[in-house]
Amino acid sequence: MRNPISLASSPRRDFLRSTGCGFGSLALNAMLQESAAADSDAAPAESFALREKRSHFPARAKRIIFLFMSGGPSQMDLYDYKPRLARGSGTHLPYKLPSTEVTVGMEDTRLLGPVSDFRHQGECGLYMSNLLPHTAQHVDDLCVLRAVQADSPNHPVAIRQLHTGNLFDTVPSMGSWISYGLGTENQKLPSYITILPEEGERNFSSAFLPAIHQATAIQNVGSSPDKAPIRHLTDSSLPKSVQRQRIDLIQAMNRRQLEHLESDQQMEGVIESFELAFRMQTETPRLVSFADESKETLSLYGIGEEPTDKFGRQCLLARRFAEAGVRFVQVSMAGWDHHGNIADRLRKECHVSDRPVAGLLSDLKRRGLLDETLVVWGGEFGRTPHTQILDGNRSKPGREHNHHGFTMWMAGGGVKGGMTYGATDDFGYFGVEGQVHINDLHATMLHLMGLDHERLTFEHHGRPFRLTDVAGNVVSDVLS
Amino acid sequence: MNLATQNPALRKVKFCTAFAFAVLVCAIAHAQEVNVTVSESQPDTEGAAFFNEQILPILRRRCYQCHSHESGKAKGGLVLGSRHGWEHGGADGPAIVPGKPDQSLLIEAVRYEGREMPPEEKLPDGEILLLERWVAMGAPDPRVAVRPDIDAESLWALQPIRKPAVPEVQETEWPQDEMDAFILARLEEEKLSPAGDADRHTLLRRVTFDLTGLPPTPDEIESFINDSSDHAYEKVVDRLLEARGFGDHWARHWFDLSCYADLSDITGNVLIRDAWRYRDYVIAAFNSDKPLDRFIHEQVAGDLLPFENVQQQREHIIATGFLAIGPWTLQNYIKKQLQADVIDHQIDRIGRTFLGQTISCARCHDHKFDPVPTSDYYALAGIFHSTRTTRHDGPGVWSQITHVSLPELPNAAEEFEQLTQDVNRQQQVLQTQLEELQKQERQQRLRTKVVSEQANALTFESGIDANDADREYRVSFSAGPSVWAAANQATADGDGLLLQLLRTDGTALAFHVHRSKAWTGKKDSQQFEPVSFTYTGDGTGKVLLHITASDYTGRFAGAIDNLSVSDAVTSRVLFHEDFNGCELGDVQGKQAGTGLSVYAQCEFPGWTGAGLNHSHAVSLVTTGEANIAAQIFSGPHIDPANPRVTEIRHELASMTRRLDSARPGQLQALAVKDVEQPSDSAIYRRGDFQSLGDIVPRGFLSVVPASRTYDIPPQSSGRLQLAQWLTDPQNPLTSRVLVNRIWHHLFGSGLVRSVDYFGVHGETPSHPELLDFLAVRLREDNQWSVKQTVRQMVLSRTYRMASTRNAAAAKQDPDNRLMWQMPRRRLAAESIRDAMLAASGELDSGRGGPSLGLELDGNIAGLGGKINPPTWSGKIADYIKNRRAVYLPLKRQRPEGELEILSVFDFPHPDDMIGARSRTNVATQALFLLNSPFVKQQASSLAQRVTHDEPDDERDRINRLYLLTVSRPCESDELENAIAFLDQCTPELNGDRSLAWVQLSHAMLGSNSFLFRE
Repeated sequence: MRNPISLASSPRRDFLRSTGCGFGSLALNAMLQESAAADSDAAPAESFALREKRSHFPARAKRIIFLFMSGGPSQMDLYDYKPRLARGSGTHLPYKLPSTEVTVGMEDTRLLGPVSDFRHQGECGLYMSNLLPHTAQHVDDLCVLRAVQADSPNHPVAIRQLHTGNLFDTVPSMGSWISYGLGTENQKLPSYITILPEEGERNFSSAFLPAIHQATAIQNVGSSPDKAPIRHLTDSSLPKSVQRQRIDLIQAMNRRQLEHLESDQQMEGVIESFELAFRMQTETPRLVSFADESKETLSLYGIGEEPTDKFGRQCLLARRFAEAGVRFVQVSMAGWDHHGNIADRLRKECHVSDRPVAGLLSDLKRRGLLDETLVVWGGEFGRTPHTQILDGNRSKPGREHNHHGFTMWMAGGGVKGGMTYGATDDFGYFGVEGQVHINDLHATMLHLMGLDHERLTFEHHGRPFRLTDVAGNVVSDVLS
Repeated sequence: MNLATQNPALRKVKFCTAFAFAVLVCAIAHAQEVNVTVSESQPDTEGAAFFNEQILPILRRRCYQCHSHESGKAKGGLVLGSRHGWEHGGADGPAIVPGKPDQSLLIEAVRYEGREMPPEEKLPDGEILLLERWVAMGAPDPRVAVRPDIDAESLWALQPIRKPAVPEVQETEWPQDEMDAFILARLEEEKLSPAGDADRHTLLRRVTFDLTGLPPTPDEIESFINDSSDHAYEKVVDRLLEARGFGDHWARHWFDLSCYADLSDITGNVLIRDAWRYRDYVIAAFNSDKPLDRFIHEQVAGDLLPFENVQQQREHIIATGFLAIGPWTLQNYIKKQLQADVIDHQIDRIGRTFLGQTISCARCHDHKFDPVPTSDYYALAGIFHSTRTTRHDGPGVWSQITHVSLPELPNAAEEFEQLTQDVNRQQQVLQTQLEELQKQERQQRLRTKVVSEQANALTFESGIDANDADREYRVSFSAGPSVWAAANQATADGDGLLLQLLRTDGTALAFHVHRSKAWTGKKDSQQFEPVSFTYTGDGTGKVLLHITASDYTGRFAGAIDNLSVSDAVTSRVLFHEDFNGCELGDVQGKQAGTGLSVYAQCEFPGWTGAGLNHSHAVSLVTTGEANIAAQIFSGPHIDPANPRVTEIRHELASMTRRLDSARPGQLQALAVKDVEQPSDSAIYRRGDFQSLGDIVPRGFLSVVPASRTYDIPPQSSGRLQLAQWLTDPQNPLTSRVLVNRIWHHLFGSGLVRSVDYFGVHGETPSHPELLDFLAVRLREDNQWSVKQTVRQMVLSRTYRMASTRNAAAAKQDPDNRLMWQMPRRRLAAESIRDAMLAASGELDSGRGGPSLGLELDGNIAGLGGKINPPTWSGKIADYIKNRRAVYLPLKRQRPEGELEILSVFDFPHPDDMIGARSRTNVATQALFLLNSPFVKQQASSLAQRVTHDEPDDERDRINRLYLLTVSRPCESDELENAIAFLDQCTPELNGDRSLAWVQLSHAMLGSNSFLFRE
């Protein structure tokens, strides 16, 4: 049967069919098709689900870079100075621990004052730790949320909540929601990327959203070419020309079959997926190479020096992906779970991360990207004002997890800089004012991206789901 | 600080029940479309009239904007759009205490006493008075929570099933089975005609994949193509129904619903050893065509069923793994919450799998659009409260899934005896081999000793970077006399060590003699003395540290700890051992006089040899903790010259472990059982286990008809009655839902496409009469037989249609709801994998039994200690690796490693209940098909296979390749293209045409013709 196709017909589809057999130049095809795709009104095949979509209202930020500090950085030692805590350091607790708190290592818990010195920084005069001298240069761009709240003191559970809004169930991650809501600006790249994930796959999964909204993991940021940045990106054992010929053969076979069928949305989807794969193969290596970055830029991120090299690479890569139009880039760093010897270990992690984070902010700013990029920094929870001793070393105590009130910060696209929002109690234990629950954080992040968290829904099992579930209020006080 | 105002529990509760809460949102969202919720007039009482005339307008005008389904908002969790809403209240509890205005939060709020509602402006006094009066009257509220238009009367799925008459059709020749008439009648009604029959190759590939998940073999293709008898196709179908692959494939459909995995917890890899028994049970059930009603009874209440013999009793217990295995957050430290979540999941599983109902929506409030009140949810919850699924016996935070001991089979002792003998025999053979090899090793060593005279010597082979000229170094370490292979040489007072620094050519630079204390030969009495000496470098390059027993007493065995070489001036450590990644091997040797094993082999990266450690080995044996600190040795002892020695040791150890795990009396299954004192459950207000409401008697969904009542005896959980109720002849849901699932798997989508949801917002059936016809057939004619039902469906004319394009039909019915063709669809993830292995000839026919390979070295890991449960390291045994996917271990994560291919192609996450998988096309699939080691490996084996099969004629070989991958011969233009490809590639691959063949095979495995079944 050779009837003209009235359904879902489009220039792109005709083109796909007419390409026919033989080994045409796929690269050329890919270029042609990309422009064809841009104005196609065809019923979207799955791979088209990434096309740029309109936001609910004008967006303040085009993209998000989320700096995930896995383990739970200590708020009292970095951004939330508590004089009463400092004065009472070493004394017994003036408050009772809630019955739900962990008791291990708490046999003789005492208040523990800040383990670092603090100083006023920037024009806003934010009183923050000396451990982050580079980040301190940017305080006037930071909006420090001091009373963020989560619902679990348990790493995997709290991490899931931070990433998906939900404690236990399998729901899409925030990056997937944003990809679903806004699509991508760059057809050659996935819309959601996580760089050296520490969060576990369920936290960057698209769950019931179409799979295209799942994060693509960057698994290698080193300069070594042995390990591809994206899984199975290339096959270094095979000459490029043969890889080319093999794709062409597959595409030729697929098109031949499609000719017989005239049209099949799913099969066209596969053909398109091979095309995107090919574009990723060519685009990604260019993006992950820092060859075109100046020495000065590399140094800004601390690349090429220890201990900042690895995290610096992650942060620079985040800027490059953001610049290339990826909607949601996550950069993860483990090592903030300081149950013991917090004084030394916190210093070490700050040393690893301070320059890269500050470098990212400077770099975004001077490129004019910070205004349209929302940068969010924080962990799944914070830490207790009191000590925990798990290893018997009383002279080097640590702190336990604390989800009742902890610090995160935002910077860039649409948030007020140089401000703090919310407060914890006199010891930094519980949020008492301006509490920002994870749902509120998500609602605010979506809002800045031009998405109404109550309207961004997806029908699943007969009912609509959303990132913020039934909760979430946009924290309007922090919007610029 | 005011802890009282910080109620972490409240927030927590809200989120622990977030799943259920989502429903509220959706309910709210839907409310606008379906024009909602309450019937407002029952003016038969005075109170109701007062409410409708005086109160409802106030609520509507003043409150609904933020607190109602209409507005889609439930601020603070409070909804005033129904009686139920204020009864359950918001975050602070019920909004109204009937009869007590002064204790009612709503009145407090409108009075602006403490809280202030509405926030913009206080209500006029008159309205406040009315509200107070209403509450004082007892707050009469005639609004009912369940919409009258969605009760059983109106929901199609709840209508009784009556066997419909088979419709008349014009094309009387077309139907082969009565079901075809239903399809054809609809098509004729719409002036459409069914597609022609599929060709034989297509049909064979289709039915073989649909029934077994595998492609037909070339022999099967040939035999079917050449069979000209009338019953050729029927013969194929009957062969496939009897193939073992049938159970492998259809059980996997079941696991998509039952959240099967071999491991547990949110972290994904907590060890549960016995899940596989449930897996094998399900596969066997499909293969033996266990009737579905029986299958349901056993899975829901197997432990409560009568049994005829021990074998059957075991089966029944194992079957309840259906309820015991799931995505439990075992480390949730709030155990009541864990229990509530487990129960919720069990209710959800039963609701969706058998009934197509989202019952768990009613966990927090009456279902907003389906006729499921909260009381029904807690009636079911009572059944599962009375069922033990997890237990917690501390001291840590972890719970465990309930294990039930399996009764011993009568011949268990004999079988174990038999197994013991077999294993012993095998072990003896290996032992003899080992001894022979070791003898050779010893001779080798002796020869080496003759050459070097330093058998008991240690040398750092890699050299130490500590030889700058004129710089002074301190070399220090702990050394102790210890034991070597035979472990029978106690040291004596005066034994000593000679420490030498050597150039890399072996010439000496410096030496030091050290007298150590004796080792007394008693347990835990080894004494160590740190040794150190200084050395001034001569700048000749790296140095080696060499240690020998000073007097050649033969009693030095060569273990040293804490070696460091430091710059004597700055004390900076230049060298220290790094034992990260150290892998524990076999424990060996006995400490003289104590019988304790005293050292363990261990391997660590960067070192060429195995090593041993004495000090910690003792504790290793006594406490089971792998706490190896340091060990080095070198010389000819490093590795057994023959790697077979290590292999044999591993095999021996693994046999011993296998035997241990088969010991009778300790076989267990993951299973549920009734608690000692079954009881009813209270309603958890808003799903909060801390906020208890009325107690609801155990029971089932009140709206679902049944032929009789099923009373739950007080001493029983009620699972047995639940199972009977599920399969009650008048229950209209179970048979409809299940037969629709079978249809879905064979025809690509269900007659009801929302296969897991038959509620108000689900889809309605495309062919309601056909669905009922099939449901009756399943339940009555086929007596719940899956195989019989599948057989009828695949023999139908409908199933045999081609996947041809029909533009007119596509325009009229783009989704093919009327079945004018057989839809083409991509193979399921596990079929893609298994078919690749089948094509390459690598598919292992092994099946059944444990799949975690716990007998492999180091495969059980974890944080250790008593607090944390053991975890699985993820090694998959070679004998498992190439089995069908259903036999490979599943973590509670997206499958990765060997099973990565599954995740790539939409295999469901083991935590999700998915009756209809998504089929996506994304670039990661293309990348996987092009570049993953798995596909490369299969392509290479496939190329070898076809070359072996057709060594001479390349064209025959291409044809063979097509048969193996796409189940049909190659057409002429395809042949030419393939030859052209080979010609084009070969020069790029150094002229090696066999490599080009690998690429051709690879391309076939990546083509749509392979990935799709028509």
